[in-house]
Amino acid sequence: MKSASVVLSAPTGLHARPAGELVKLVKGFEGSVVKIGTSGRIVNAASMLLLLSLGIKSGTTLLVSVEGGDEQAVLDSVCAFIQAIKD
Amino acid sequence: MTISGPAAIWKRTSSGEPVRSFDDSFTAVHSRLESLSAQDAVFAAHLEILDDPMIKDAVAESVASGMDELAALRAARDGIVAMFGQVDDEYLRARADDVRDIFGQIEACMCGVAAGPVELPQGAVLVAEELFPSDVPGIDFSRIAGILCAKGSSTSHVCIMAHSKGVPIQVGADISGIKEGDIVSVDDPMVDGGRAVAAKVRAAGRKLYVNAGNLDDIRRGIEAGADGVGLFRTEFLFLERDSMPTREEQARQYKEALLACGGKVLTLRTMDAGGDKDLPYLSLPREDNPFLGLRGVRCSLARPDLLQQQLGAAVDAAREVRALCPQWFAACTPLRLMLPMVCTLEEIRAVKDALRELAADYEEILQVGIMIETPAAALDAAALATESAFFSIGSNDLTQYVMAADRGNHYVSHLYNPYSPAVRRAVELSVKAAHEAGIPVGICGEIASDPRATDYLLGLGLDSLSVSRL
Repeated sequence: MKSASVVLSAPTGLHARPAGELVKLVKGFEGSVVKIGTSGRIVNAASMLLLLSLGIKSGTTLLVSVEGGDEQAVLDSVCAFIQAIKD
Repeated sequence: MTISGPAAIWKRTSSGEPVRSFDDSFTAVHSRLESLSAQDAVFAAHLEILDDPMIKDAVAESVASGMDELAALRAARDGIVAMFGQVDDEYLRARADDVRDIFGQIEACMCGVAAGPVELPQGAVLVAEELFPSDVPGIDFSRIAGILCAKGSSTSHVCIMAHSKGVPIQVGADISGIKEGDIVSVDDPMVDGGRAVAAKVRAAGRKLYVNAGNLDDIRRGIEAGADGVGLFRTEFLFLERDSMPTREEQARQYKEALLACGGKVLTLRTMDAGGDKDLPYLSLPREDNPFLGLRGVRCSLARPDLLQQQLGAAVDAAREVRALCPQWFAACTPLRLMLPMVCTLEEIRAVKDALRELAADYEEILQVGIMIETPAAALDAAALATESAFFSIGSNDLTQYVMAADRGNHYVSHLYNPYSPAVRRAVELSVKAAHEAGIPVGICGEIASDPRATDYLLGLGLDSLSVSRL
């Protein structure tokens, strides 16, 4: 398992549209289980409902972990995606 | 701004009994969201929520334990919404609204619920308990003057969409006791200026154009929902440079402008040099009285080489865009060429002659119309209408010339009044002449952007208002 932390800078937090795009990205990595967590909870990032229920606000530090598949590559692209969310 | 109109109440009616199975309803909502997601990313996100196996699993689990499908759906909804915890958090409340909306759509489908206003007269105020994102595609924003909602947040999808269309919306309003057709008002400080004008112009069923000085203005205006560009000042191409822009250079800009309009009207005003706009490379003569001198179309006709370059560029741009997007030209060409400072029929004919030399078929790719900004044009509007495809009243110069008062001269600026009876008469003459000739007449001066003047201008019969900013 590989993990890293990343900060969400989007001013309005992780709202429905970017969350949907993130879920779509995560679902594309077959054989990898991607989890995203805040200080309170860690959830499977392939579930839109669980991801939204984290209530991720702007400036939150997220812990991303990947198990299975090309762990480093998946980790890098998920972190890069989260960092690139700007709205 | 505040706007009022007759209430049209958004109702949800249901048979009360389930008419479709959960599976069928799920599939129906799924395919609806799929088709909507192409036009709005919010619905793509809703599709991801719907596709979360948690929803189907929760319903199946409750059904297996003996609940009927509708009760199971509601139990699943309550369980999932509860996951979003406390409601005092704006972020989580908005996410919970997304979830409730999706469950609401499934339930509506299962119960055969129909949602919408019974009747929606032009200029009505839509009154609703709550409007969900899934309701938004069913709202005809071009018909309504405003929206009143009892519930919802100012960052909800319907608020964002209403503002993007220039429609005022008030959430958290007290709608109890409002009956169909009652005159109600909407107070929305987020909508002002151009948008306030927009709401009234739309409510009256007239055209709303935007003025533009460059490509960014066009893009912003079209994005904000304008019906087109009512005045595209081409001066930006000519000012602050040492030489005349070439035909190719101009054509490239006009093509970009046409493409930015996406098939909507682009009213390209030909070079309006002279007066207070001096272009050193034209070496225009020094005049004692430049505002009564070589301005607008007079300047263009005095320099046929420049006129030809600009007309040629317009023709080239229109042809290129027509080749790319022929459907935009199918009913009527979106490119309108507008001549400033016209006083006589001969001026229009001279420009048309120059056009004909450049392109025998010019009438298929552009329309030629004029600005009404001189007393001569207003007084002789009936004759000028015979050679014009449209009129656009330039109220700033028209006021100045009708009243013979320089607005910048404080000794006479009290005379500069666009509401004065003489200016009103000039506008009325122009509107009457245009309508008798069957051509549209709009207004593009500053007064068009003043929400306090909108009712007055619409009352004068103008077909379009072109605002400085939307």
